[in-house]
Amino acid sequence: MMIEIGHLAVIMALVLSAVGIVTPMIGLKRQNGVWIQIGKQAVTANFVLLSIGMATMIYSYATQDYSVKYIAATSNSRLPMFYKVAGLWGGHEGSLLLWSWILSLYCMMAVWIHWKTQPVVMPYLIAMESLILHGFLLLILFLSNPFERIFPVPVDGRDLNPLLQDPAMVIHPPMLYLGYVGLSIPFCFAMAALFSGRLGEEWIKVTQRWTLLAWIALTTGVLMGGYWAYYELGWGGYWGWDPVENAAFMPWLVATAFLHSVMVQESRKMFKVWNLFLIILAFSLSLIGTFLVRSGVLSSVHSFATDPGRGLFILAFLAFMLLLSFGTLIFRSGKLKSQIELDSMISREAVFLFNNLFFLVAMVTVFIGTLYPLLTEALKFKKVSVGPPYYNAVFMPVALGLIFLMGIGPYIPWRKASRESLKKHFLIPLLFSGAGLVFFAILGVHDLYALAGLTVVCFVLASIVSDFSKISMFWAKQRRVNHLSGLYVAFRQNPRRFAGIITHVGVLIMIVGIIFSTIYQTEKVVILKPGEEVTLNSFKIRLIKLYETTGPNWVAQEGFFQVYLGNTLIAQLTPQKRLFTVSQTPTTETALHQYDMGHIFLTIPEVAPDGSWARVRALYNPLVLWVWYGGAVMVFGAFLNIFRPKRKEIYSEGIATLTPFSSKKMVQE
Amino acid sequence: MIRVWHIVLLAGVLGLLGLFYKGLWGNPSYLPPVLVGTSAPDFSGANLYTGDRVSLDQFKGKVVVLNFWASWCQECKLEHSSLLSINKQYGQNPNFVLLGIDYQDKIDLAHEYLGQLGNNFQHISDPKGRISIDYGVYGVPETFVIDQKGVIRHKEIGPIIGESYINFTQNVLEPLLNGKSVPAS
Repeated sequence: MMIEIGHLAVIMALVLSAVGIVTPMIGLKRQNGVWIQIGKQAVTANFVLLSIGMATMIYSYATQDYSVKYIAATSNSRLPMFYKVAGLWGGHEGSLLLWSWILSLYCMMAVWIHWKTQPVVMPYLIAMESLILHGFLLLILFLSNPFERIFPVPVDGRDLNPLLQDPAMVIHPPMLYLGYVGLSIPFCFAMAALFSGRLGEEWIKVTQRWTLLAWIALTTGVLMGGYWAYYELGWGGYWGWDPVENAAFMPWLVATAFLHSVMVQESRKMFKVWNLFLIILAFSLSLIGTFLVRSGVLSSVHSFATDPGRGLFILAFLAFMLLLSFGTLIFRSGKLKSQIELDSMISREAVFLFNNLFFLVAMVTVFIGTLYPLLTEALKFKKVSVGPPYYNAVFMPVALGLIFLMGIGPYIPWRKASRESLKKHFLIPLLFSGAGLVFFAILGVHDLYALAGLTVVCFVLASIVSDFSKISMFWAKQRRVNHLSGLYVAFRQNPRRFAGIITHVGVLIMIVGIIFSTIYQTEKVVILKPGEEVTLNSFKIRLIKLYETTGPNWVAQEGFFQVYLGNTLIAQLTPQKRLFTVSQTPTTETALHQYDMGHIFLTIPEVAPDGSWARVRALYNPLVLWVWYGGAVMVFGAFLNIFRPKRKEIYSEGIATLTPFSSKKMVQE
Repeated sequence: MIRVWHIVLLAGVLGLLGLFYKGLWGNPSYLPPVLVGTSAPDFSGANLYTGDRVSLDQFKGKVVVLNFWASWCQECKLEHSSLLSINKQYGQNPNFVLLGIDYQDKIDLAHEYLGQLGNNFQHISDPKGRISIDYGVYGVPETFVIDQKGVIRHKEIGPIIGESYINFTQNVLEPLLNGKSVPAS
């Protein structure tokens, strides 16, 4: 009974999302605020209805109602409660429901927050968001219904994908959806700006924080995915250029480009069409990502069920959205000539231009690599997949360029930089990076990319530190306080700038982590019998014994290892070769020991059936934790940026705030 | 007024949608019946260590096992010791040869890889993936078995470990080396 209530709620949401598309348009046509009010209520109601849908699903998971087909496929009575609930996004149908619920949440928030301050674009915003929601609800109800019953009722469920049975993995998909779907708000504001003809800087200012929010969610989601790949899949690496990883990375790249280029429009009123293009592209890539993941056109480690019917529908919807948004952009672009041209190639505008260019090149690189197998197949070539060497070869120089720009962009004046100002700021960083180059070369860093990377990191770091110290000294003098308080004053004066710089510092930390953990990773794969040991760097790893062990829904062969540094025992590790009993899926459970900022990483990919030996894969990943610490600092900077003190939004009267009477009056006049 | 970027953008969007549409009717996990049962494409490449030219022609009349691998491939590492023991077991047989094809790799990294994991057979460098394209290699590791007449008899996708090792040696290699024919699979 419960599940039927949820089903009914989602059906009603489908109807109301259609109402949300139509009524604001009628309101615009008739210049009547009441119709738009109806749209607003529909948006709120949709959130409530979809929440009911979600709640009934979760309830049915918790009460183990295996008469629901989807639950029977993604849950099992022996699962811990935590994972029982997570089964909701363990498959296709539930993921889409979660997607829609998040969309309705965002949509309601945007409408409530901006109702008063953005009345002119509100009808368009409501209609656009409702349109996206409508598409997804159609897909859910007609092609992938999670509320469907099954008969005869199975005794027990088929279990959740074992790879998902991990705390990080439970949060990773919703995080990514929060990111993907979060980009829909700036997108809808952009579309509303295009439709309404209010193409000034307003939509940029309104959406900047929304984009940051989506960016934070995407960044966290991608990083969590990386961490999961690192220890759950037993790769020992955190990034594999898998199509589905790429699907999340592409909107991230474009959203990052957008967050930079909006600053140019705000301060210099340039890049107007470009910014619209970027945000449309970012959300389109979210949709394309959904298509790639959900239609099964590409093969990937994220193997999801495929069904051409669903694929065709998502494609039709994608086609509609892409043509509508890019088409409108083309139609309206005539209105959008920016009068100001670049004054000089040595200016902040130019740096932003290059920044955007690099981000786009990076995105296109990933895009081509991801779709290459599809392309070769369509052209009747032989099917070939693209390996990491392709990505590394193209991506590395671009990444280097981007980091370098991080050291210049914030410190170069707008319009045109004079020779003196350049010298004043960049002399010290240049000298410092030169010293860094020599230092790391002497230290024994021979890999060209690593050396270049570290040198550039030195340059950017010196740039940031020297700027911070100058500004804090200035304020310390001005206010007669110490330097630390001076720094605090500087923060208060321009929180947005410094929050951005903190994010940049996070990037630097991450880059160092990536360089060291990939280039200086050591690895040994050996067969060990109990009592034998392997030497890895200065560590000795000894296999003490192998034995069987069991969990709630799995059995495993576990190895007990001791790690010695010299003669001191520093860690005892127990990696497993696990077999999930219901689905008969084997997994490799990693054992990690943190040493300095790196990891000793141990897996046993193969164990003799009689337990007499194990194939042991041992890795040492120096500084690998910096990858995630850096990510955390990046996200922290973005949070500071979102919650910086708010300046007043522009108030402009539109029909959304008009009462029916005053709007009638307006028409009469 | 229509501008160049309007057309480029529109063409790009339409092209992409067309590509996706075509992609829907393909099966991503379907691999073309790569040459199993047909004669193996000839190739020649440089030996990974000496740089000497090695071609498939040289081994006519032998059972050739071609293993595509790369140092950046994680699953190859799992498989490597299986390859070593296959060569230990059959390498003495004059009718058998095991060849590694190092796919899209850097030579120094490949050397390091083999240095760490051990090596007892010949490898050919395929830095641009040319040989691999001829064989329709979809991802590494992949292993092909070519019979005495130069016909591909078997293709193994993924690492040869555990059960697939037993299958590979007992049901594919043994019968071939004993002159029996195996059903193409």
